[in-house]
Amino acid sequence: MRVKELSLLCIAFFLVSCCMGKPETAILPEAYVDAAQRSTHTNNWAVLVDASRFWFNYRHVANVLSIYRSVKRLGIPDSQIILMIADDMACNARNPRPGQVYNNANQHINVYGDDVEVDYRGYEVTVENFVRLLTGRTQNGTARSKKLLSDAGSNVLIYLTGHGGDGFLKFQDSEEITSQELADGIQQMWEKKRYNELFFMVDTCQAASLYEKFTSPNVLAVASSLVGEDSLSHHVDPSIGVYMIDRYTYYALEFLEKVQPFSKRTIGEFLQVCPKRVCISTVGVRKDLYQRDPHKVPITDFFGAIRPTRVSTERINVTLANEEDFCLDAEVDAAESVRKKDFKVIIESQFPIEFFK
Amino acid sequence: MRHAAALLLLLCLCGLQIHAHSRSGNSDEKFHEEIVVRPLAGDHVNTYFQFTTRWHYGARDNLFHTQLTPRVIAEILQTYDVKELHISLTQGLWRYESWGYPIVEATGGAEVWAWFSGANLTSSSVNSQWNKLANVFSGVLCASLNFVDNTNSIAPKHTFRPQFMDASSRTRHVRYASLPREIVCTENLTPWKKLLPCGSASGFASLLNSGHVHNTKYHSLSLKVRTLCAQPDNCVVELTQTANLVYDLKLLEQSSSRDFSLRRLFGMGLNGFCELADSSKIYVQRNEQGQRYQLVPSPLEEVSSTRGGFGSVYAVYDMQKLSELGDRLFNIAWLAPKGERRQPSTSAPPLYAHRYLLGAGQERGRIVTEVTNTHWEPLPVLLMELVPWYVHTYLHTLRIRSKTNGHGHRREQVLPFKLLHYAPGKQRELPTHLEIGFQLPPQSTASISIEVDYLLLKWLEYPPDANHGHYIGAAVISSQLPMGRNYTALPVEGHLFKHSFNATRPGYVLTLRTEALIVGLPTPDFSMPYNVICLACTVVALAFGPIHSVATKLIIVERNTTIPRNFLRKIWHKIKRRAGSKNEPTEQEEPEREHQRVADLNERNDDDDRTATDYDDACVQRASM
Repeated sequence: MRVKELSLLCIAFFLVSCCMGKPETAILPEAYVDAAQRSTHTNNWAVLVDASRFWFNYRHVANVLSIYRSVKRLGIPDSQIILMIADDMACNARNPRPGQVYNNANQHINVYGDDVEVDYRGYEVTVENFVRLLTGRTQNGTARSKKLLSDAGSNVLIYLTGHGGDGFLKFQDSEEITSQELADGIQQMWEKKRYNELFFMVDTCQAASLYEKFTSPNVLAVASSLVGEDSLSHHVDPSIGVYMIDRYTYYALEFLEKVQPFSKRTIGEFLQVCPKRVCISTVGVRKDLYQRDPHKVPITDFFGAIRPTRVSTERINVTLANEEDFCLDAEVDAAESVRKKDFKVIIESQFPIEFFK
Repeated sequence: MRHAAALLLLLCLCGLQIHAHSRSGNSDEKFHEEIVVRPLAGDHVNTYFQFTTRWHYGARDNLFHTQLTPRVIAEILQTYDVKELHISLTQGLWRYESWGYPIVEATGGAEVWAWFSGANLTSSSVNSQWNKLANVFSGVLCASLNFVDNTNSIAPKHTFRPQFMDASSRTRHVRYASLPREIVCTENLTPWKKLLPCGSASGFASLLNSGHVHNTKYHSLSLKVRTLCAQPDNCVVELTQTANLVYDLKLLEQSSSRDFSLRRLFGMGLNGFCELADSSKIYVQRNEQGQRYQLVPSPLEEVSSTRGGFGSVYAVYDMQKLSELGDRLFNIAWLAPKGERRQPSTSAPPLYAHRYLLGAGQERGRIVTEVTNTHWEPLPVLLMELVPWYVHTYLHTLRIRSKTNGHGHRREQVLPFKLLHYAPGKQRELPTHLEIGFQLPPQSTASISIEVDYLLLKWLEYPPDANHGHYIGAAVISSQLPMGRNYTALPVEGHLFKHSFNATRPGYVLTLRTEALIVGLPTPDFSMPYNVICLACTVVALAFGPIHSVATKLIIVERNTTIPRNFLRKIWHKIKRRAGSKNEPTEQEEPEREHQRVADLNERNDDDDRTATDYDDACVQRASM
């Protein structure tokens, strides 16, 4: 009896020592570890929000357009970018350079570009519309370009900028979204299978407070400042009289400008953008909900739309039978006959002159 | 099921093939691009782009197979009973008095109107179709057209007429809405260009770059769709996209000279024409302001036209012929002779209008619209007002007064209405709709005034920038001119600019838009409730403590004779008290003892003549109960 007990104890000790001696992953098959690190998404979406109105918030528009420019350059099509801008800076009467928004007083990059498409603008940028967009509960008749039509295979990038405080972000100086509302919205997205992985990025004061309430899986969050800290702007352009861009986004854009669609840059590197000596605020990161190692995730998983393509040299027959059987000459005739019909219409009078006689 | 799907796929493929075949032959879908350049008075240049897709599609089912027409246009014609649709997005104000009339008319901000016709179409189903249609185009054009709903739409009765309606269609509905606050920027230009067959890559649309469109004094993008049917299965759809720009030459670089060129206006020369276009022509006005310029290169042909008794001359550059000559980037330069300062005088157009707001304060005011007739004949004038629900109008205050600006004599009279249509507004539900028709005497100005009240909105109805003010959209003024002076609009049956040449008609229907108005509704200070709450709470908190003390506590003065006055003795006394504290009574016993002391004090109060300093720290506050 005693011998048996002793031997059990020995085995247990051996097992424990084994486990302590080697890293945990060693027990898992290597293929599984690799698979967990591999990108699993099939499409990319981006929701980019500038929540502040008024000319003196020019920098927030420049912020959101910087990210827009980068994701568009890295391959996410306009149809999969939902851009919300609460005010018009490019064609603002105060802008001496109409149709242009710069990230820098030296006018290095026109972040507004020549082919921007803003989906929600002006008064449409409200908390209600933003939450409806995330959760897919848009009102009947909403245009397709104003919907986030993501699915369980989508990697979604959410970028918010504006004026915030501990636990909230102001929208248009008249309402605010709280961190709890954000967390609930994202949880609902997860439950409705509206994302595969989600990268949440926010540039505002006390930004880290916005991701604190998150509980949904596969969410990686980065914030420009910790709770209790202000996010700072980068520099003033004297020709427009306001701040150009915020520090965190300025350095994020600087990083993203160097990224090419097939570059090996990772999200891990991106999370280290803007150290405290340049940002002045501390960049906050939340990784506990995210399963993969950010240093093994390519940045294009969120900022681009790069998918592996397999080239096939085999012949593929897409028709099943002889196509002539289905092409009816009658259709051709019909098309011809339309053309031959003469076309004469009577245009109506455009003014009710009968009342003036 | 699988076979059915395969069949469907095949049919689609066949459909594509048929159309590919018909494209190679004489197609029933034609695309035209045109530019009209008109130098205006005061060193302004008007450039007008018109892209027309005309598709003779026949029966409605053929709308599934689009080629040059954008799919979205074909789809809305299938989904909704819309027969005619006009959308314009405009920034700036067209100056009628100095610039004459534009080729297409538009008001600042966004303006939409549409005609619906179909079997069993009720007014409520039109409303829902109208809202959905606005939503579709809010996505297509990246504009906030989704704000169009029943609270800001009206059904004009006389001002708008359908350009074409089937004789069979007896139910016809129109809806009109304008959003004067709407901004127009690159995000509208980009999707607008995407509707063109060649996009922005080649053709005339390549000139429309955001940097050179938004630095203009006036720019207007518009989109017009209309269907014309000879028989129900023999229809044509026309999509006309126009961009109307007015450049101020003084604002362009090298402002010393009055010369300009396509390259200076648009930042680049023209890179040929759109390969899909049937015609690509540039028309340059040579009469009026245009006659002082010399053109380089000189045009191959010139067209002179007489319309309604007034002649005009246009130089025509046919890009499809010119590019055979082999120029990579084509440019036209307008050269003004040196030293010439005098500009040809411009005659004021026969009819123009202005609008303004009278009255002070945020309570009430008066909207005044002035329409001026400079012609020597009376003109019929039709005015349409859409006043938003937050402004109440009073119909009984409506007046039309005219002032005749004759030679030497001024005459004032009240003009009678020829027609009046008034649909009163309803708070938060319907806008006020007013249409007035009257005959405007020659050489006179009519001012139409109506008194209004401004409504105090509910807290949440104010926009985020409430102090900016609220807009009242432009009034639409319509008239029929007997002659063609300054008139450049296309005849309603035509679809190309060349159709306006020699297009003499019995009358020329003119529509004008006035300025939009901005009213300052009574706007509360939104931080006030916060301030009031903070202040009230502070006052209450500060007041509560003392008042509660005074109301519930009794102040009793205790004379403590044991404490000596001398400082050193005081210290000694304290030490003594500390040392002897063990013999002192406990905290629980203290009240009893003090109570006794109070009683003693009260008895001795009368013969007490000590000063206040004697009481030292002996003020003992005790609850009276």
